[in-house]
Amino acid sequence: MNNRSQLGWTIAAVTAAVLLALLWAFPLLWAASTALRPEHETVSSVFHWLPQTWTLDAFRTTLSAGNMPRWLFNSALVSLLVTLVTMALSLCAAYAFSQLRFRGRGLLFGLAMLAFLLPFEALLVPLFRTMHQLGLINSYAGLVLPQVVSPVVIYVFKQFFDAIPADFREAAVMDGANPLRILWSVYLPISGNIVWAMAIVTFIGAWNNFLWPFIIVTSNEMMTIPLGLTQTYDAFGVRYAQLMAAALLGALPVALAYIAFQRRVTQGFLAASGLKG
Amino acid sequence: MASVTLRGIQKQYDNHSVIKGIDLDILDGEFVVFVGPSGCGKSTLLRIIAGLEDISAGTLEIGGRISNEVEPAKRGIAMVFQSYALYPHMSVFENMGFALKLAKVPKSEIEERVRRAAAILQIEHLLDRKPKALSGGQRQRVAIGRAIVRKPEVFLFDEPLSNLDAALRGQTRVELARLHRELKSTMIYVTHDQVEAMTLGQKIVVLNGGRIEQVGTPSDLYERPANRFVAGFLGSPRMNFFEATLTGKAGRSASIALAGGARVQVAADVARAAGAGERVTLGVRPEHLQLVRPGQGDGIGATVALVEYLGDVTLVYAQVEGSEEMVAVKSDADTAPPSLGSRVELVFPATRAFLFDEGGDVFAPAWTENAAEPLARMP
Repeated sequence: MNNRSQLGWTIAAVTAAVLLALLWAFPLLWAASTALRPEHETVSSVFHWLPQTWTLDAFRTTLSAGNMPRWLFNSALVSLLVTLVTMALSLCAAYAFSQLRFRGRGLLFGLAMLAFLLPFEALLVPLFRTMHQLGLINSYAGLVLPQVVSPVVIYVFKQFFDAIPADFREAAVMDGANPLRILWSVYLPISGNIVWAMAIVTFIGAWNNFLWPFIIVTSNEMMTIPLGLTQTYDAFGVRYAQLMAAALLGALPVALAYIAFQRRVTQGFLAASGLKG
Repeated sequence: MASVTLRGIQKQYDNHSVIKGIDLDILDGEFVVFVGPSGCGKSTLLRIIAGLEDISAGTLEIGGRISNEVEPAKRGIAMVFQSYALYPHMSVFENMGFALKLAKVPKSEIEERVRRAAAILQIEHLLDRKPKALSGGQRQRVAIGRAIVRKPEVFLFDEPLSNLDAALRGQTRVELARLHRELKSTMIYVTHDQVEAMTLGQKIVVLNGGRIEQVGTPSDLYERPANRFVAGFLGSPRMNFFEATLTGKAGRSASIALAGGARVQVAADVARAAGAGERVTLGVRPEHLQLVRPGQGDGIGATVALVEYLGDVTLVYAQVEGSEEMVAVKSDADTAPPSLGSRVELVFPATRAFLFDEGGDVFAPAWTENAAEPLARMP
């Protein structure tokens, strides 16, 4: 390929990337533009790309009038618990399926993977009945427990552990480590990036989960952010500026978390895919 | 230090038997090498001693204690893996001290033992580095250091030099021998490399197909192989074999006819042979064969197919007349090699040849290392 055609391809690729980025960013920018105008401007018949009057009123109202701080706290607590418990359970299960030899191992792994085939919606009613019988409606336990079983995470960890040379485990066995110690002191540090990647994905999934909190929570005090967003309307209809302000505030912690761990997440996915970074 | 005793050790995976009844005594402080071709069961046997594989049948004793069900970490052994298996996220110091930390040894003692082992191996300056910052040879030393700090009664080595280049392998072999002299521990070493086996082992165990073919000192195995497998496995190039038929036996001498028609005599006790007509195999090491011009030696006719000059020696490969077999002849590099395609005759001392029966077992050689060495002649 000569230099001229190579330059042409580069320009085309950069242009396509910029267009795709704008397409992706447009809803975000529009939400920001809406959240920064007075409420009456959001329903004005005259279209403006930018606010005619710049104001943070929507953010102030969202943070003061609604139950936003509480919902943020609930989302943070639930997402954190879901992430921690999912990681702990999935790491243990994946290590057992990958490294331990016991009767019925293949069958159990097959059963765990079968859960892939069941959509969460199909489990809503039995899960709700179970939570109801356990008295966990409107509780953190009720919010967290059904979200902590993740066949995808188990599968990804197992595949990763399968690729770690067995010599590490055997060396640790010779050193006197038990399975839990081997997982904690050897496999977990070796798998650092993929664990971070799965943790972030699980955290974002739990933060954005609407359906299960919608089923299990009826109390305003126990709502998470996605559920709380449905409350940002009053008798006069939807308040768009407040809705967008709440959405931006709700998405902000996740976005910050992703940005903070972006490098580890990318490395983790590269490691899981077998590609080198 | 501890002895290791194996009695009737068997290992099966599903219905496939990989170790088929091993009886072996390894003495206190002995350096024993398990050697054999790929798949012979040598690594499995080592892993059985380590406790990384269960025993299907038989008894394993370490230091006089039956250890079949004892956990690996409580057997008083340490193992150096082929891949070294250094934990990549830990420093050299942490790698070496990990077992002691798990055993809840006080920090000051861990420090002291790690530093002492590092001093023995001259790796004190590497203690803060991660394994990825080490060369292959340095990793190898750390892996040995990790074993040393545990003060084991028995060291197990699973092909520890196979990832090193030739120069480093030679150097590390010398260091391992020194280490054995200094520590005086029992060491069991697995390799498929016969040079490592011959140079390191006080006792060599040759394995094949899950069974022991022969146990002995390096010179025992080289000079007095029990069967054709051992004779062919040790030595480079390997021993030359000629299919033949027994034509007569007189006292401690056997007359045989080679497939190509040549007739030779071998100093071997063939009293147990059935008699003339029995199929046998003649074995002669490359260094005991000589090339002579046709008509000069009444030897085995052959045509030179390849000449390899190795500096100190020259290897000549020749095609034996009347057969597909290629034989190797090792001679001094000073001797002018024959030209390619030239006809030669192969002669050898009757007191340096081995005769094997149809099952591969050797007929006891009727000669000693110091025996006179007349060349084998056609009768």
